[in-house]
Amino acid sequence: MNDRNRELRPFVPQPDDDMIVCRCEEITKGEIRRAVHDGMFTLTEIRRYLRTGMGLCQGQTCTKLVKGIVSRELGVRPNELGPATGRAPMRPIEMKVLAKDKEETK
Amino acid sequence: MMKRYDMIVVGAGPAGLSAAIEAAKKGMHVVVYDENAKPGGQLFKQIHKFFGSKEHKAKIRGFHIGEELLAEAAELGVEVVLNAIVIGIFPEKEVTVKVEDHVIHVKGDTILIATGASENMVTFPGWTLPGVIGAGAAQTMMNLHGTLPGKRVLMLGSGNVGLVVSFQLMQAGCEVVAVADAASRVGGYGVHAAKVARCGVPFYLSHTIISADGEDCVTGVTIGEVDKNWQIIPGTEKHFDVDTICLAVGLSPMSKLCDMAGCAMEDNPAKAGFVPTVNEYGETSVPGIYAAGDVSGIEEASSAMIEGRIAGIAAAARLGFISEETCKEEAAKQEAALEGLRQGMFAPGMRGKQITETEEGVEISQNLLKHGFVAEEEIERFPGVTHSAGVHPVIECTQNIPCNPCQDACPKHCIRIGSNITALPSIDPEKKCTGCGMCVASCSGQAIFLVNEDCGDGTAEVTLPYEFLPLPQKGDKGVALNRKGEKVCAAEVVHVRSAKAFDHTNLLTMKVPKEYAMKARFFREEETA
Amino acid sequence: MRIQEHPILGTYEKGKLVSFTFDGKPLEGYAGEPIAMALKNAGVMVHRYTRKEHKPRGIFCAIGRCTDCVMVVNGQPNVRTCITPLEEGMEIRTQYGVTAEQPGGAAK
Repeated sequence: MNDRNRELRPFVPQPDDDMIVCRCEEITKGEIRRAVHDGMFTLTEIRRYLRTGMGLCQGQTCTKLVKGIVSRELGVRPNELGPATGRAPMRPIEMKVLAKDKEETK
Repeated sequence: MMKRYDMIVVGAGPAGLSAAIEAAKKGMHVVVYDENAKPGGQLFKQIHKFFGSKEHKAKIRGFHIGEELLAEAAELGVEVVLNAIVIGIFPEKEVTVKVEDHVIHVKGDTILIATGASENMVTFPGWTLPGVIGAGAAQTMMNLHGTLPGKRVLMLGSGNVGLVVSFQLMQAGCEVVAVADAASRVGGYGVHAAKVARCGVPFYLSHTIISADGEDCVTGVTIGEVDKNWQIIPGTEKHFDVDTICLAVGLSPMSKLCDMAGCAMEDNPAKAGFVPTVNEYGETSVPGIYAAGDVSGIEEASSAMIEGRIAGIAAAARLGFISEETCKEEAAKQEAALEGLRQGMFAPGMRGKQITETEEGVEISQNLLKHGFVAEEEIERFPGVTHSAGVHPVIECTQNIPCNPCQDACPKHCIRIGSNITALPSIDPEKKCTGCGMCVASCSGQAIFLVNEDCGDGTAEVTLPYEFLPLPQKGDKGVALNRKGEKVCAAEVVHVRSAKAFDHTNLLTMKVPKEYAMKARFFREEETA
Repeated sequence: MRIQEHPILGTYEKGKLVSFTFDGKPLEGYAGEPIAMALKNAGVMVHRYTRKEHKPRGIFCAIGRCTDCVMVVNGQPNVRTCITPLEEGMEIRTQYGVTAEQPGGAAK
């Protein structure tokens, strides 16, 4: 996926480009397709570029949808596209909770 | 010092609880963390009877299995911590968990990741409107909280989840206006489809949602037929006034935690997504970290429970609580049970394959795949459908699925499946049916009827499983519906049986003109006019 | 709408009937049930309006994952109402973006 010389077909607007894909951050299909043409080829890049999957739900709803759109745009199978990096915290946590990080003692 | 456990289990669903039980039995000190307020995962929303055989807890309803698991775990001293979110797994099996309003660090000599699955979604104009919900949401509302998701519902998805939830919606008192699916064939068990279809729910295969209508919430939905390239065929649009659209378009393994823990991962379509690679014991590439249940590949809760048990046994052997030999012996037993579940037309290895005939060489009902019910001209060719004088079972089980409670249920041994549990049930003509109805109540697919084709006075009697309220009473008059859910004739209830052994499946016997003996399959209380 | 009696589950265990407010309007629900269920049974469908496009959202996953059902509860925004138990006297408000203030209009 890191072949930046990949030839993409020209960007053609589609009738459903204004469809919301990432419900939390309100990112549309068109924005995601456009991002691929801007050179964002991996899910991690798309995420940093657009904030898809970085809202409250942390991509629980849209990850697979975004993957489908990006892979179609790149002309590859979805399973060829690696997942976005998984890292802690797995769920949104308030800062005040993280601040109360304590080692459990015996 | 950090608190240390022999096993840390992430997720208190069927896989996690089963693993914890097995590990605790071997003397291990186990903790289970679950992010939800209640344990059991999705089991407590499963109010239908499970498939399989006795060893898989067949014909027991999912929520009862959940209760059993919780009781067993409690008895064995398994610590189940709720509202506890595992936020990370770090090197040396250090786990951080959010409990109440702080973060704790714990260490496990082994870890089992049993985080389950998340629902897939589809987009269409209006999909963010209130009233568009996941199928899991519908189950949560009705089966846990006694709340109707809506009055009129369209179900998108004809897999087992879509079919089971459609039926549950009707049990709760909703009207299901249609089941739609972009696929050209019903994805779930035919028996699940058939019990929905005979209540009068139309199936629209090769159909998808064009749009959800409404300003502030759903007021309607338009579906349309798709061509081979998934494009809507103009002129095929159908509109329904609904307040709820329910999405049941598959599940994906919720495996991020495995990825984070450093487990080798693969994107495997046969497992429905991104999963950790595991060996026969469910151990990932990281020694001592196991994965079981939907997180390592989407299957049924029954298989998740066995995978959990295997992981629990293997973890015990790893830490020396049991010998390698005991481990092999016990795991082999569980694996045999698991193998039994992974047979038949819906086995994980069969995904995407088109099957034209059963193991017995009987041609599959095409109508079942396209419209959700077996057509009258197709039903006679299946081995469970026979004719004889007097009352006898008619088993409308037409696909090879791993399930055999009907065979054990018949005290007279009228029903034969044999040792291959995916075989279609057949009737032993030598044995005499007494009409006890145990087979009708035992069939998780609600596919068994007792029929007396000729009562001698021009009428026939059909006994069917009935799981709705209000329960009709003897003497009630109404209409009989056929397999498609169309009214075919007048019917009178002559008998309603409820027994503890039937576990809330009531047996309703209706009298119909005898020419409808093999057509009438459901009863509806209605003025016949 | 509440299911009075279910063919398999029978009747549902309920907590004490308590009162709460939704956008200042008094409503009733059962203590301990998710806030979202009490609202649903009172006919409330819209939980919030989104930040960018001001579109309505309500219950979607009902198990605390999708976060579409968040509202302002006792002054705190982004509370997942589908998994937060209802308590006597709770003040629940429609969430606009991330606050209870309607954009350009006076709320509260």
